[in-house]
Amino acid sequence: MHPQTTDRPGQLTAAAPALAGRNLVKRYGAQYALAGVDIDIQPGEAVAIVGPSGSGKTSLLHVLAGILKADSGEVLLAGRRIDQLGETKRSELRRTEFGFVFQSGMLVAELSAEENAALPMLLAGAARGEALGRAREWLGRLGLSGKERNRPGELSGGEAQRVAIARALAHRPSVIFADEPTGALDTRTGRDTMDALLGAAGEHGAAVVIVTHDRDLADSVPRTVAIRDGRIDTAGGTA
Amino acid sequence: MSSVRLALRVLRVDGRTRTSAILTGLGVAVATALVLLLVGLPFATEARGERSMWQEPSYSSGEDGPATLLLTSSEDYADGSKVERVDVAPLTDPRAIDLPPGIDRLPGPGETLLSPELARLVDGTPGSQLGDRFGEVVGVLGEDALQYPDQLVALVGHTPQTITPGALRQDGFAVGGAEQDPLLQLLAGVGVVVLLVPSLVLVASAARLTAARRERRLAALRLAGATPRQVVEMVAAETAIAAVGGAAIGFAVSPVLHSLAAHVPWNGGTWQPGDFTLPLAVSLPITVAMPVLVLLAAVLALRRVVSTPLGAAGSHARKPLHWWRLLALPLAGLAFTLAVTADEPTMMTVLGGLLLIVASAALVGPWVTSAVGGIFVRIWRRPAMLLAGRRLRDDPRGAYRASAGVVLAVFTGSMALTLLPTFESMAGSSSPYRDSVLYVPGLDAAEARQIAERADADLARYGQRERTAQVGEVYLSRGPDSGESAMVLDCASAGTLLRLDMDGACAGQPGVYAEYPMNLNGVHVSAIWNEPGPALAADTPVRPIRATDADVSSVPVIDPAVLPSGFEPQAVTVAVAATEANREVVRTALAGAAGGVQVESREMRLADQQTQLEDLRRVTVIGLIAAGALSGCSAAIATAGSVMDRRRTFGALLAAGTPVRVLARALRTEAAMPAMVATVGAGAVGVLVGMGLFSLVDDGSVVLSPWILAPVVLGVGVALLAASVCRPALNRVRAEPLADE
Repeated sequence: MHPQTTDRPGQLTAAAPALAGRNLVKRYGAQYALAGVDIDIQPGEAVAIVGPSGSGKTSLLHVLAGILKADSGEVLLAGRRIDQLGETKRSELRRTEFGFVFQSGMLVAELSAEENAALPMLLAGAARGEALGRAREWLGRLGLSGKERNRPGELSGGEAQRVAIARALAHRPSVIFADEPTGALDTRTGRDTMDALLGAAGEHGAAVVIVTHDRDLADSVPRTVAIRDGRIDTAGGTA
Repeated sequence: MSSVRLALRVLRVDGRTRTSAILTGLGVAVATALVLLLVGLPFATEARGERSMWQEPSYSSGEDGPATLLLTSSEDYADGSKVERVDVAPLTDPRAIDLPPGIDRLPGPGETLLSPELARLVDGTPGSQLGDRFGEVVGVLGEDALQYPDQLVALVGHTPQTITPGALRQDGFAVGGAEQDPLLQLLAGVGVVVLLVPSLVLVASAARLTAARRERRLAALRLAGATPRQVVEMVAAETAIAAVGGAAIGFAVSPVLHSLAAHVPWNGGTWQPGDFTLPLAVSLPITVAMPVLVLLAAVLALRRVVSTPLGAAGSHARKPLHWWRLLALPLAGLAFTLAVTADEPTMMTVLGGLLLIVASAALVGPWVTSAVGGIFVRIWRRPAMLLAGRRLRDDPRGAYRASAGVVLAVFTGSMALTLLPTFESMAGSSSPYRDSVLYVPGLDAAEARQIAERADADLARYGQRERTAQVGEVYLSRGPDSGESAMVLDCASAGTLLRLDMDGACAGQPGVYAEYPMNLNGVHVSAIWNEPGPALAADTPVRPIRATDADVSSVPVIDPAVLPSGFEPQAVTVAVAATEANREVVRTALAGAAGGVQVESREMRLADQQTQLEDLRRVTVIGLIAAGALSGCSAAIATAGSVMDRRRTFGALLAAGTPVRVLARALRTEAAMPAMVATVGAGAVGVLVGMGLFSLVDDGSVVLSPWILAPVVLGVGVALLAASVCRPALNRVRAEPLADE
């Protein structure tokens, strides 16, 4: 039997969670990446998941986002179970309901900033003009006006991350997942990037789930959930 | 740690490096085996020639010793297949004559030795249709006496009295001194280039699978203090393991390739597998040179890491390609045009022009690739075209390099396939005889009479109604150093034997029949060129006729009835018209009677041309398929490499919900575009060059056959092969969607 773990209750509201995980278990061989995790994320809420390397924070993000399937437990999006969906449906959900920001941006080197931001929409079948227009709009909001035609190689690390944020937000998702979004940036640029991400998400009303091992960065997020050895660490989180 | 041990450790722990090494080794193995085969082709024709030297008369023999035999050779045909017939008569004790390998005895008069394949044919065919041409079969020829295993050969024995007077006196059978087939030498040279380029591109593509990772590793080593020499040694060791292994495998499997190649007919037949065996003095240097070339290329590719490790670790800007590259093709085209339109074009200048065109592709190709990329970037509507356009625009040299093999193969193939159908349409001859006629030309009157009598007797014995006609060859002249040749034949026979429409000319009195008006006043007829002869009667009627085909050499026909009394032609042709049903029987009667004198026919006139054209078409198609398969594999590996290079980005896109099929479709288009563009461009230039080459031999227009589409099929095949790996590569990326390098 797995130990009982709970999320810190301080930030819970009466509204239905935007995203929830119930008793999530994920194993790699004999090793538990998640050993029974419960977590609720409210609409528009920003949550930082912190913990040392190998603690299970990235596995939790991947399970919540439907990238990985949990071995047991439930994932609910606005009250609806999504963990039982097939890969095709989960992909569709990720495409429409979620946005993703990864470490180093993971941009296509050959494409310009606006093309990178528009790429998920284009791949989903959006028309060129519409996709580029929305991409330009988000780049402008994130302070990248005038750099729409620049390639990733011509952007600073912070600018590249903001392009990635524009890419994540352009299709108006309800939840944004960010995996070490400032891991490759210096402290000041990291903080600026976080501000940009939280500001843009807040403006749009999207919940944000940020995985980071940077305590300072986590402190800038309203709610922090600490994880250790695949379990929520009730002593490590901060409100 | 030594460089080799470090390379072995990397190979052991890194699956992708291992895959790259295996593919590099495979590419080197294929390249080595192909080069060994292609270089061996001319040697193979020499080996064939050595075995069949005895089948030809030795024109220089007899000068260095007393003649020991009389020999003549001729071509015969059995149901359309060529039979090499050698007639021999010993002038001394047959046991004193050295026999060529594969012949264990000399046939006596009336006896014959047949090759196994001909013996099998003779056994399964009535004597009147084949066997009676040769005499009593007393044995078979061994494989060592045959040009190729299924060659049809007959060695027919005679006495010096019964053999044809045209037989040559020679000191034994001809041995040694066979030469390599110059056509196959040329084709092998073209083949080495056409197939070696895609093989090396395959190696380069395989190396690219780990290029990014290796550059980072080496840059890290350089930053950690490794000297350029140490870095070079590490790469050399890593590449050497794969390249040396590949070359060894290529050397080891080349006999298998030789066995396969032995089944491909050339010049009428297949090969003995041993024909392709190269002397070690040739094969070993090739086997050593291949990995050395690959090593050299790998080390040269390190320039950037060695000189500026930080530059390699970071990003780098690419310089746009200059427009002057575009001038290379028109300049090369101009040189080629000048070469083919010169008053007296030479092989060297034409080949030089051709080489310039091929070389210009290396300059023009990347520019065109970049330009096409630019167009895609401007007009894209779907992400596939955007991705393809950006890739082409960003690295046109790399994109073109991946297609270089296809470009070369399609160019060569299009050129050949433009020429071949045109040459085929020209195949034929200007012989005045109808296709149904078998004839023995160049006989003296007495020999012609003998052959005609024997042939007629055999035709009667075989129950055939056909009989021989003797066609005289004479000259009509008005004085010394003037005149034209004419045939002596009655009007009815002329209508049957010659490609002439007598157009009712036979209804009146006998006369002279010609396509053009002739004034016979003062015209003499002579048996030998420029010799005096009696005059034709001035009132001899001249009747108009016309040739039935455009390519026939029109020769006036003189009815024997109007020849001056006592005049007899000295050169005579014995001819018989056959039907499709009795062609082999008539040939048997005539060939048997001719006793080794050449019987000519439509088969002989067309067979060599058609065989050569078939050979060319076959090697072109085989070359295209081989080059296409190699290029397809290179393109597929390059595609896998490009997906792997961007695996983290694609992993992120897949994680963000982009369906694999959507991304795969985009990448398939991206991978297929360069091959498609290269195919169209190279095909168009190939057709133009083919037309230029054709203008060297004829003023007519080129015949374009459906074969011209073969390169397009090749391009599509390559593109499909290249694109086919997108999905599995993406599935692999999805298996570890966000894995770090």
